[in-house]
Amino acid sequence: MDKILIKSATLAFPGHEKDGQMIDVLIYRGVVDTIGDKNTLNDEEAVIIDAHGHYLAPGFFDLNANLGEPGLETKETIMSGCGAAAAGGFTGLAMQPNTEPALHSRGEIAMVVNIAKDNLVSLHPVGAISKERSGNDLAELYDMKLAGAIAFSNGNKSIQQAGLMSRALLYCKGFNALVMSYAEDASIANHAKMNEGVVSTYLGMKGNPSLAEELMVARDLSLASYHETAIHFSTISTKGSVSLIREAKKKGIAVTCDVAAHHLVLTDQEVAGFDSNYKVSPPLRTADDVHALKEGLLDGTIDAVVSQHTPHEVEFKRVEFEIAKNGMIGLQTVLPLLLKAELPISLIVQKIAISPRKILNLPMPAFNVGAAANLVLFNPKESWTFDERTNHSKSNNSPFYGTTLTGRVSLVINNNKVYSNLN
Amino acid sequence: MAETAQQLSTQHLLGIKDLTTEDIHLILETASTFKDVINRPIKKVPSLRDITIANVFFENSTRTRLSFELAEKRLSADVINFAASSSSVSKGETLIDTVNNILAMKVDMIVMRHPYPGAGVFLSKHVNAQIINAGDGAHEHPTQALLDAFSISEQYGDVAGKKVAIIGDILHSRVALSNILCLQKLGAEVLVCGPTTLIPKYIASLGVKIEHDLLKALRWCDVANMLRIQLERQDINYFPSLREYSMLYGLNKTILESLDKKITIMHPGPINRGVEITSDVADSKHSIILDQVQNGVAVRMAVLYLLAGKRI
Repeated sequence: MDKILIKSATLAFPGHEKDGQMIDVLIYRGVVDTIGDKNTLNDEEAVIIDAHGHYLAPGFFDLNANLGEPGLETKETIMSGCGAAAAGGFTGLAMQPNTEPALHSRGEIAMVVNIAKDNLVSLHPVGAISKERSGNDLAELYDMKLAGAIAFSNGNKSIQQAGLMSRALLYCKGFNALVMSYAEDASIANHAKMNEGVVSTYLGMKGNPSLAEELMVARDLSLASYHETAIHFSTISTKGSVSLIREAKKKGIAVTCDVAAHHLVLTDQEVAGFDSNYKVSPPLRTADDVHALKEGLLDGTIDAVVSQHTPHEVEFKRVEFEIAKNGMIGLQTVLPLLLKAELPISLIVQKIAISPRKILNLPMPAFNVGAAANLVLFNPKESWTFDERTNHSKSNNSPFYGTTLTGRVSLVINNNKVYSNLN
Repeated sequence: MAETAQQLSTQHLLGIKDLTTEDIHLILETASTFKDVINRPIKKVPSLRDITIANVFFENSTRTRLSFELAEKRLSADVINFAASSSSVSKGETLIDTVNNILAMKVDMIVMRHPYPGAGVFLSKHVNAQIINAGDGAHEHPTQALLDAFSISEQYGDVAGKKVAIIGDILHSRVALSNILCLQKLGAEVLVCGPTTLIPKYIASLGVKIEHDLLKALRWCDVANMLRIQLERQDINYFPSLREYSMLYGLNKTILESLDKKITIMHPGPINRGVEITSDVADSKHSIILDQVQNGVAVRMAVLYLLAGKRI
């Protein structure tokens, strides 16, 4: 596919002069060659794609994916994860350090960068704040940054010691590195496996209260404010977190945050059947929280939506809810879930293509003649079945696996590579 | 046992939440017949001949396991027992594998006690056998709730309209949840009473009253169901000491005699004498604790008998 001519696609590039218009575009060897009005371009050598009903947007970027390498390759490898990412429309990923060993030194960071270097998906490792993600002492953050770490987080282990988080924020400020916080006070969450609420009471399950997240958000906002530095919250899930962050933004604290796509369409009601595919961390919350999260997306409090792609072998999921691992795969379902949440396409593009790159200070894909093509073509109305034929992940732990989803990615182009899922 | 066209609406007994009120009445009526049976000189009936039942207990139990085993034997079922600590199982063989191995030996029904909530529900979706939940974490203990309802109706003729206080560790109790659901389906009013740290924040959503003062709870109720403090399920300290718990929520003769009416005292056992209940109360005429134990066998016979009628 040296030459691709996309005809009559609706452009979804926020800020572009042709945003919202139907256009033709010729891509030649990974570069935007010609842009024309709809149905005006022709090229006999090109693969021609009739893109009626399709949107052409900047390639999506995921701030929160777990790829299992090193150490957890039976869940996912970097290559299989990048495959799932491309199939979901992503051309860039920030890979979380939840690996074994954690991405906690130059060695692991360099390895990830090296394995992914020729991929369609631009993979950016996120370094662990503390060695082994233990939450005790700082890892060699600067050295990791030099090796390619795009930001720092402690993965899914929230840092319990305020002192360590304080030092991480202050130290990273020194070389402009972003700290991502996963907010959960372990002493309040108390190993509970689902949201505390009416449903947990009815199921006799211990509840993980919203309070556990909100206390940590409040703490880290205070720390960021004190040190006058930026902070990013990963996968917030509660109404209270949204309002804490909304107030902090008003006060001028340099805070950004994201929400996992599944938290916008699922509630703790789903846990009633004890299906471990609904066991995620943070836990699924209430309809009230879902509503607040959507409001947060619309008013700009929540900057980005992430997949929180968390692959697990069936052995870790086909067990009692209590001992099942947290998380679901999500790279291929972000777009369908956001459409299911009834978010407008311009907002979706903002939240999964533009904002994530802004948060990480990465260059924005450009759509003009001569620019490297970093694009996704998708049809928001087309349905597909998420099953063994369409799944690119090595794992299938998703409540959406085996279901029909609406919103299908047809073509992804980045780094002069093409992922095609054309009919 | 008179032939009846009535059947349960469910194939398994996973929790009270899956039973209709008609199901509960059917079980209680059937239990009443079986209670007569077990008080006859010949206590055994052939109802479950050729049915094999495995009692699979992943958590310690004396009374429930014995009660089920007796119920099974009095119905002439073949019985096997399997006990394992949950920790050894969670590290090795999965629950599905363990149970499928037992089922491969041609077992028809599984009675399971498990430390995790929903384990029975999970199992029923993944193996081909009838499952009877003998307690799953702090989720449900349906046969306990049924035998409690049976015992209350034995005392009062009916459960409807009665006021039942469930007192103690509500947070860690499967007995509490199953009792609340069962008693409400039968038309009773339920109140929960215990230390603030052992009452789930959203318990009112179940339609129960909440009281933290033992005396007020006792004054309100007809029946007080005293729960055991589940120290083995408390990973952190929810109250400073058993001594202090007992000062606040221990039921003793002085309190009982200060009431201007006679109330019935129940306890699912095992009793921590001197903690939630003093010996003079446990052994008093107010207490129906040993009746509960006897009724347990009859109720479990009823459940097994009715479920056997639902075999595919």
